[in-house]
Amino acid sequence: MAILEVDGLRKEYGDFVAVEGSTFSIGRGEVFGVVGPNGAGKTTTLKMLAGLIEPSGGSATVAGYAPGEPAMQRQLGFLPEESPLYEEMTAVDYLTFFADLYDVPSDVARERIHRTLDRLDLEHRDRRLGNVSKGMKRKVAIARALVNDPDVLIFDEPASGLDPLTTNYIIEFTRELSDEGKTIVFSAHNLFHVESICDRIAVMNDGRIVARGTLEEIRDAHGGTEYHVYATVDASAALDAGRDAVGSRSGPSRSVAVSRENGRVRHVVPEMADVEAIREAVEANGGRVTDIRTETPSLEDIFLEIASDGPDGEAKA
Amino acid sequence: MSGERSAVDRECRRTKRIVRRSLDSLRRIGRIARWEVSRSAGTVDRKTVLVAVAMLLVVGAVGLSVADDGLGLADELYVVGVDGDDPYADVVAESDRFRAVPLEDVEISGDGTDSNVDVVVTRDGELGYVGENGEQAFDAFRDAIESYNENRMAEADDEVAAYPVLVTVSYQERDPLRPDGTTSPAESDGTDSGARDDSSTESSPDDGAAADSDGMTDGSTADSDGVTDGSSEPTDETRDGDELRVPDVGGTIDERTTTGTPSTLSPPFPFQSLLLAFLFIVPMNFVVQAYGSTIMDERIKRRGELLLVSPSSRYEIVGGKTLPYVLGLVAIVVATAVAIGGGPLSVAAVIPIALVFLGSTFVGAMLARSFKELTFVTVTISVFLTTYAFVPAIFTEVTPIALISPLTIVVVDLQGDPVTAGEYLFSTATFYLSAFVLFLLGIGIYREEDMFAQKPIPAKILDAITSQIDSISARVGGHWSPFVLSILGIPFVFAAQLLTVSLLFVVPDVVALPIMLVVAAAIEEFAKSVHVYAGFARGRFEATGRTAAVLGAFSGAGFFVGEKLTHLGQLVGLPELAVGTAAFGPELTGGVSIAVLAAVVLAPLALHVVTATISAAGARRGSIPYAVAFVVATLVHALYNLGVIVLVT
Repeated sequence: MAILEVDGLRKEYGDFVAVEGSTFSIGRGEVFGVVGPNGAGKTTTLKMLAGLIEPSGGSATVAGYAPGEPAMQRQLGFLPEESPLYEEMTAVDYLTFFADLYDVPSDVARERIHRTLDRLDLEHRDRRLGNVSKGMKRKVAIARALVNDPDVLIFDEPASGLDPLTTNYIIEFTRELSDEGKTIVFSAHNLFHVESICDRIAVMNDGRIVARGTLEEIRDAHGGTEYHVYATVDASAALDAGRDAVGSRSGPSRSVAVSRENGRVRHVVPEMADVEAIREAVEANGGRVTDIRTETPSLEDIFLEIASDGPDGEAKA
Repeated sequence: MSGERSAVDRECRRTKRIVRRSLDSLRRIGRIARWEVSRSAGTVDRKTVLVAVAMLLVVGAVGLSVADDGLGLADELYVVGVDGDDPYADVVAESDRFRAVPLEDVEISGDGTDSNVDVVVTRDGELGYVGENGEQAFDAFRDAIESYNENRMAEADDEVAAYPVLVTVSYQERDPLRPDGTTSPAESDGTDSGARDDSSTESSPDDGAAADSDGMTDGSTADSDGVTDGSSEPTDETRDGDELRVPDVGGTIDERTTTGTPSTLSPPFPFQSLLLAFLFIVPMNFVVQAYGSTIMDERIKRRGELLLVSPSSRYEIVGGKTLPYVLGLVAIVVATAVAIGGGPLSVAAVIPIALVFLGSTFVGAMLARSFKELTFVTVTISVFLTTYAFVPAIFTEVTPIALISPLTIVVVDLQGDPVTAGEYLFSTATFYLSAFVLFLLGIGIYREEDMFAQKPIPAKILDAITSQIDSISARVGGHWSPFVLSILGIPFVFAAQLLTVSLLFVVPDVVALPIMLVVAAAIEEFAKSVHVYAGFARGRFEATGRTAAVLGAFSGAGFFVGEKLTHLGQLVGLPELAVGTAAFGPELTGGVSIAVLAAVVLAPLALHVVTATISAAGARRGSIPYAVAFVVATLVHALYNLGVIVLVT
């Protein structure tokens, strides 16, 4: 059952369209990744879901409520890309104030705040936030998003600009939250993080969602598995042999990419059947195949391909 | 029966729900306010607080001292040798600049440098000076004598001291039989002269000249004597028989002259009350700086974003952030009132000023794009509002225009005079309504898209207005928004027109009236059309001629309704002034037929609808057509105003 539904969401600023017709739904407990280059419309989409920006068109519901309704805000924890904290306050005072705003009873708030800070391994809780590290500020910001124990979390670049250790800590913590049944909308530039924790992904470019689904579905739509065939023969002879072989089998329209690597020739083909044709061609030219590898494109490869294609490169919606 | 019961139950539940929501809302405002106080306390270290408090105390103490005694820099600067029973001793006693030394204690050295006095009044009534400061002391003593005489004059009732004074001058031939220019005894008698004039607004040139002439002659004689020989010659005019009298150096202080001419009258200036009233305004300038900074902080550092995603509405957030500053200002106002002897009326008059200070600072902080811009905005607001509040109050005892400032109410209260409810309402209603509308506009752009975006200020103003269009449209339908917004613009129209009236008050009518006619029309046309333009520019209205006509009609009708509120002006008699008439229209006198009355009532409605429609027609096509249409509408309006004034007066 979807806890978050988006239908034709649109945002325009004068003549500029920031988000165009975004449509997707997110099930309860799902981790949904939103990726895309800078200016793709990710943050605008997330802010529309959080009720911060009023959509120009379309609709969205979070936990059954329209964004901006107080009942919806109680169900939501929002972590913006930056951590704008009140630096003259301590972590505990800051979190207590927000718990108060969400009408969390003070004893519950106190227990929840300290438990969350324990989990985030946050030290110096009574130090002014202006005097703590960036990583600690980020942890406090995450704790603030959890202070009302929300069902839905929107994390916009939660690990942006942090050191690898803190980044891994935050990614791991996000995974734990997912395991606890929280629904998480997650945006990140580091696609490895998205790939590692998201159940489904939407790739945005120029304000549009250009690909959407599980990582496997997106991979299938944008290239899938590739086979790398390494041979010893002269590169040009092997290339001719390979091309002839592929052509004779009326193989895939996709051309065979050939490159040199450590004195060997690498042939990249999309089908297993092509591997055999290349092997035959190589042997016909007096060479031999030294290695065959299976390569799966990363989300980054797919993202770069989509981004370079522009909005018309949508392969699957 | 059961149906009635369930209806009552439903109503009860509804009421309970509203009460609960209101209490929740108040609770959240209270929480944010508490947090704002504790958070702000953390931004300022104790030393800074102590310095600020010390500065405020110093300012207050200096203000009180100046109001009470003057600056005091020249206290007992000069020493006058004079006997205690000498009439000149009263002059010394009244002035803080002098200290008296009995003649028997006067010591004068040969060259005067080691003397213990600067000025000496001999038992014969002769004046002289000695030492390095003697000449300056003597000049100052002459001024003190003049002030003493004027104060004695001021204590007496002056039947002609009414302001403003209109003078009709007619020149007459001087009597050739008296070439020295003096008048006959009968004419030179001021009492007769005053009594002879039919109106205090007229004076015969002979009277004035005679009085002046007499006075100046007397005075200059005394001056001349005193200054030229530095010592000795008492004038005959200063004596009456054997009795020593204070010399007449003021020009109007001859005992015989009990009435004054316009040139000798000074407008009544409530210096002390005015200065005390000003003490209310000073702390506001400090508080608005802090308030503007806290709002700006939320925007520049994007910290307000997290409050906006909380269940608190933006009204609650702004309410909570503003409440501590409102309470702080109220506390300061009450403390100031207690310190200077102001009553509850003074407090009630100053609070709307404080609210406008906060409201305009809030809007300024929402519009500014940097702290540098904020500084400019807050300083501008402080200067403008201080001027608006302070300058009219100078004329507290002169003209009803002074009542455009609530500070006038404070001055009146400090003087112990009564204030009617109508006068209080007239002075403060504009401030209360302006503060309300300013906060409304600011809250309209207290949202992510405007708070954290580097938009040009005009674009933000349009956004602020558009947010109110959206808010009104959601409740009563889109076309009603111009109607409501035109009414909400009335306080600013009223304030702007009153300010223009007060600025043109001292300008000759022949110049002031045409300016007032055009400016008053422009102010009204702007208030009627800017929201219509905002609606078109932001795509809230369909850009068709029919829509423009409908919106213009609604806007004009709304303004007509709101304009009736300005008839408060009639309560305090502003239309009696020529520029007041140009701004607010003439007051109808008796004997007007019903047809004329109906025409006079309905004609403004027609005017506002027509001119608002002209502006709306331009607004739908963009900014330049709007500007052109606005000018046309203003001219039509100004011509109408001129026609009405010509017809009715």
